[in-house]
Amino acid sequence: MSTSVTKLAYYPGCAGATHAVDQEMSTKAVFEQLGIELIEMEDWNCCGAAEAEDPNMVYALNARNLVIAEKEGLNVATPCSICFYNLARTDKALKEDENLRKKMRDMDPSLDYKGTINAKHTLDILVNDVGLDEIGKKIKKKVAVKVAPYYGCYLERPSEIGFDNPERPELMDKIVELAGGTPIPFRQMRIRCCGGPLMMTRGDLAFEMSKRVLEAAKKEGADCIITACPLCHMMLDAKQPDIEEFFNITIGMPVLYFSQLLGLALGVEPKKLALNKNIVSTKEIEEKVI
Amino acid sequence: MSVNAWELDPEFKYKVASTPGGENIMRCFQCSTCTASCPIADIDSNYNPRKTIRMTLLGMKNKVLSSDEIWMCAICQMCTERCPQDVRISDVMGAIRQVAEKEAEKGNIDIKSVRPTFEKAFMHQIEKYGRSYEIGLTMEYYQKVHKGFVSAMMAMQKDYTKLGMRLFKKGKMPVTSVLPEKIKRTDEVKKIFKSIGD
Ligand code: SF4
Ligand code: SF4
Repeated sequence: MSTSVTKLAYYPGCAGATHAVDQEMSTKAVFEQLGIELIEMEDWNCCGAAEAEDPNMVYALNARNLVIAEKEGLNVATPCSICFYNLARTDKALKEDENLRKKMRDMDPSLDYKGTINAKHTLDILVNDVGLDEIGKKIKKKVAVKVAPYYGCYLERPSEIGFDNPERPELMDKIVELAGGTPIPFRQMRIRCCGGPLMMTRGDLAFEMSKRVLEAAKKEGADCIITACPLCHMMLDAKQPDIEEFFNITIGMPVLYFSQLLGLALGVEPKKLALNKNIVSTKEIEEKVI
Repeated sequence: MSVNAWELDPEFKYKVASTPGGENIMRCFQCSTCTASCPIADIDSNYNPRKTIRMTLLGMKNKVLSSDEIWMCAICQMCTERCPQDVRISDVMGAIRQVAEKEAEKGNIDIKSVRPTFEKAFMHQIEKYGRSYEIGLTMEYYQKVHKGFVSAMMAMQKDYTKLGMRLFKKGKMPVTSVLPEKIKRTDEVKKIFKSIGD
C-alpha cells in the first residue's frame, strides 16, 4: 500500500483555512517529508460542521466536495475530525443508496457523486495507508516526552464510520511511540468529548468537559496532549487560559497536533510546524527533542 | 413525574421517526446504556437521553420539544456507539431538534435555548459564502441573541477580547480573516439550500 499514496485531494476545512494554521502547516510539512503531494481541492465548501442538523444537508454539502475530488481521481484527505465524519458518512451513504444518489443528482449536477474515491482522515492515511514502517524509515529525532493521546469523537465512533478502535483507539499512541515518546494510559478520557460543539451555546458545559480532559492529562503526568482535530485544539489550547480563569485553576498543559509531534520526529524545524503559534508554550516539548 | 394521558400525542413518535435521523427511535428498549455513557449526563444529572426517548415514545410532545435538554447534546456519538438497539440517539436528538424548530416557527412552542439561533447563523454563512465565516457568524448570532447592535458588540467584546488578542498575537487571526473566504461557485451551494432549506 505504502508506495501507492503519492497524491491526495486535500480538504483543509474552514478551521484549517483560517485560525488552525498550526494544524495546516504541520500537516503539510509532514506529508512533504513523506513525499506525498497534498493538492488542495478546488473551490471546496464547508462540510456543515456540527451545525447542519438535517442529514440530507450534510449529504448535499459533502457530495459537492466529493465530486470535486472525484473529478481529479484522487482520494480525499482531511486533518479535521468533524470534516472527516461528514465527508465519510456522506461517502458511505451515497455509495450504499442509489436513491440518495439520484436525489443529489436531481438537486444539481455538481452533486452527482459516482462513488469512485474515498474520504479519509490524515491520521488514518498516515498509519494505515502509508504505514508505520515507511514513516519509521524517515524518523530522524526522538521526542522523549510523555503524551496524553486525545482522540475525542468521530475518529473512532460511530464505528461504521470511524477507523480506530471505538473503545480504545490507538493510532495516535503508535505515532507517539514512533516519535520516541511514551503514551500515557489516559483510559476513559481519550474518547471523551471536549464539548466543542457546545462552546457557543452552553459554554459552561463545554468548559467543564475540556477541563476534565486537561486535568486528567495533568494528573497522569503527561508533558503534553496531542489531538487530531482543530475544534478539540481550540478548546484545549486556545481556550485553556479562559478555562483556568473560569475555574480559578492552573493547568499549563501544552496541546499539540499529532502532526506537530510527528513533524518534530521527522526532523522538521519547530517553526515550520508552527509550534510558535500554539497558545500554551511548547518550549519544554521542543527542548526534549533529541 | 405524572403523565396525563389526555395530553399525550400518539402521533409524535411517528413525526420524529419520519424526520431524517429519527428513523430508529422505536427500537429503544430503555436499557439506559446511553445515559450511562453520556458525558453531559455525567455533568448534569437532569440530562437523560433515555428519558427523552421514552417521553417521545409516550407522546409527551410539548414537554420534549420545549425542553432545554434536546439542545444540550454534544453530538459526541458515545450513546450511538454503545446502544445495543442501534437507536442512533445522537441522530434522534437531531431529529427532535428539527421538529422543535419547525414547531417554534409555527408558534406552537417556545425555545429558550440559543442554539437554534447559532445553528441558523452558521448555516447562513455557508449559504452566502460556501464556507464558515467567523466574523459574520458571530455578528449575526450576537445581534440576534442580544437583540440589537450595541448590546451585541458589548457582549461580544466581553466574550472575545481575550481570546481574540491571544489568537491575533500568535498570527492566528490575520487581517485577511476580517473578510469572508468566499468560494467561486456559490450558486451551487445556494441551490442546495433552496432545495433543502436551512
Ligand atoms: S442505549 Fe439505546 S436502547 Fe438503551 S435506552 Fe438508550 S436508546 Fe434505548
Ligand atoms: S451524543 Fe449527546 S446524548 Fe449521546 S452521549 Fe453524546 S452528549 Fe450524550
